[in-house]
Amino acid sequence: MRRLRPYSIPYFIWMAIFVLVPTILLLFLAFSDLNLYRLSAFEFRFSNFTIFSEPFIQRALFNSFFYALIVTLISFLVGYPVAFYITTLQEKKKKFLIALLILPLWTNMLVRLTAWERIFSANSIFSDVFGLQIPILGTELAVVIGLLAMYLPFMIFPIFSVLDKLDTKLIEASKDLGASDTQTFLRVIFPLSLGGVVSGFIMTFLPSLTTFALPEVLGWRKVPMIGMEIQKKFILEGLQPFSINQGALISILIMLFSIASFVLITKVDKEGETLI
Amino acid sequence: MSKKLIELKHIKKSFGDLTVLDDFNLYINENEFITLLGPSGCGKTTCLRLIGGFESPDEGSIVFDGKIINDLEPNQREINTCFQKYALFPHLNVFDNVAFGLRIKKVPKAEIEDRVKSTLKLVKLEGYSNRMVSTLSGGQQQRVAIARAIINRPKVLLLDEPLGALDLKLRQEMQYELKEMQRQLGITFIYVTHDQEEALTMSDIIVIMNEGNILQIGSPEDIYNEPKNRFVAQFIGESNIFDGTMVDDYLVKFCGREFKCVDKGFEENEPVDVVIRPEDFDFVPPSKAKIVGVVDSLIFKGVHYEINIIVDGHEYTIHTTRYREIGDKVGLVVEPQNIHIMKKEIKQ
Repeated sequence: MRRLRPYSIPYFIWMAIFVLVPTILLLFLAFSDLNLYRLSAFEFRFSNFTIFSEPFIQRALFNSFFYALIVTLISFLVGYPVAFYITTLQEKKKKFLIALLILPLWTNMLVRLTAWERIFSANSIFSDVFGLQIPILGTELAVVIGLLAMYLPFMIFPIFSVLDKLDTKLIEASKDLGASDTQTFLRVIFPLSLGGVVSGFIMTFLPSLTTFALPEVLGWRKVPMIGMEIQKKFILEGLQPFSINQGALISILIMLFSIASFVLITKVDKEGETLI
Repeated sequence: MSKKLIELKHIKKSFGDLTVLDDFNLYINENEFITLLGPSGCGKTTCLRLIGGFESPDEGSIVFDGKIINDLEPNQREINTCFQKYALFPHLNVFDNVAFGLRIKKVPKAEIEDRVKSTLKLVKLEGYSNRMVSTLSGGQQQRVAIARAIINRPKVLLLDEPLGALDLKLRQEMQYELKEMQRQLGITFIYVTHDQEEALTMSDIIVIMNEGNILQIGSPEDIYNEPKNRFVAQFIGESNIFDGTMVDDYLVKFCGREFKCVDKGFEENEPVDVVIRPEDFDFVPPSKAKIVGVVDSLIFKGVHYEINIIVDGHEYTIHTTRYREIGDKVGLVVEPQNIHIMKKEIKQ
């Protein structure tokens, strides 16, 4: 196996250039008032933190967390029973349903977003075929439904994979010891699926939190979300003073959530079996 | 005579095209240690799962304490199971595993505390309350599984090859402890195994099964000493099995010689199976012996030697504490009561 090692080096170099170095650059930018070309003149300062006092950013942060939370909770309430149901099926039907869940994910997200944009427009092919008008583009509802459509599968997969591996003998043991179906679910099945639930929460919450294309397309930029604001800050580089520094700082805040989530996942799921 | 606690009447059970049990009948008395013994696939585990409520019969009825319980769920039966691979709850510690059944029944906290304590003492796991089950050895997990089942004071405890995963020494220890526990608790134990030694050591009653049929029911002594047919003889203990014919009442012929025996009631010249246990042969000087052969091989087994002797092309296996050289000419005798005659099984 040792001989394979040299072949892994190109990717490590790639990661260093495109993950490690940018992260370090972000840190430099976030804690200084420099632009990218004068890194040598670095001086540590917290002046960029004023960005968090701007109402627009506060609003975007609040929206992002709020929608991400709602979407995660709805995904859980809808997704858990789906995951549970699939595990009870025969192998063939199981594979079929899983394929139905996976297939849309192989379509580019922007394409799927465009489809939802048409559905939410007045006078589209959707309204022609179904005789139904849902002109909700540019509303919070459109954003939340869009997020659900994008990320619900990511709640279902990890829960399914944990439940599917659950030893049926444990369920038999619980019933043998006098537990009803409900008691068995509450005392055995659900606690043992918690690893999958935590993974599902993270895999739904994080992308919902950071999404920027979705509020642009389905929210018409009328529903501010933090991903969109970060993107704006970087686009405005050179046009607005300190915009990339502020963008970097917000990015780091979001990144802290990713790192915390990763730590949490490795705690609840030591074998990484719930990650797909 | 003790009371019938469980009756299986005309049970039929199939899985798809495979019929495992067909017109299966068995009753189990109160307070008995009964073992279902047979090779894998003989239907013993299915039988246990039917009693536990994890399968339901296609036909026939299961009677428990005078009532038909076919439609009762496992959680409604006064029966607990000790599963083959323990099936302990990995998210709970030892205390919570054992307390599971009592908490379901909403037993008061203080009583749970007491009963878990005394049950853990019974299975010799005092001081292990807070350990997670994954940190325990196989033998300790086994004890937790037993504690978790018996704490509910079931009328019947089902044990599905519970010692299969343990090493020999531990298995022998646990055999003794299980038997002791059954005596103390006064619970009916229904034990499933394919290990004949386990069955002989622990059981009051052994039920020998093959291909969904009961071949023989009896005490370990009965089954060892008077196996009903060739299969039972082969399955329980080691045996020399010869094809023979009944010459007359009390006279059997095998390996070209006639021997006195204690069986009668066969037809003249009826073909029979003759079974002789390896420890039932005695050595005598060749001049005085009816059977004379040459030692072909010898294995030291600890308490005894296992010696193979070739007599006119037939191989005899003998257990003896006396040493013989390979190539020695030896004479053998066997007492008439140690020659077991069995009707040939009719091949279907």
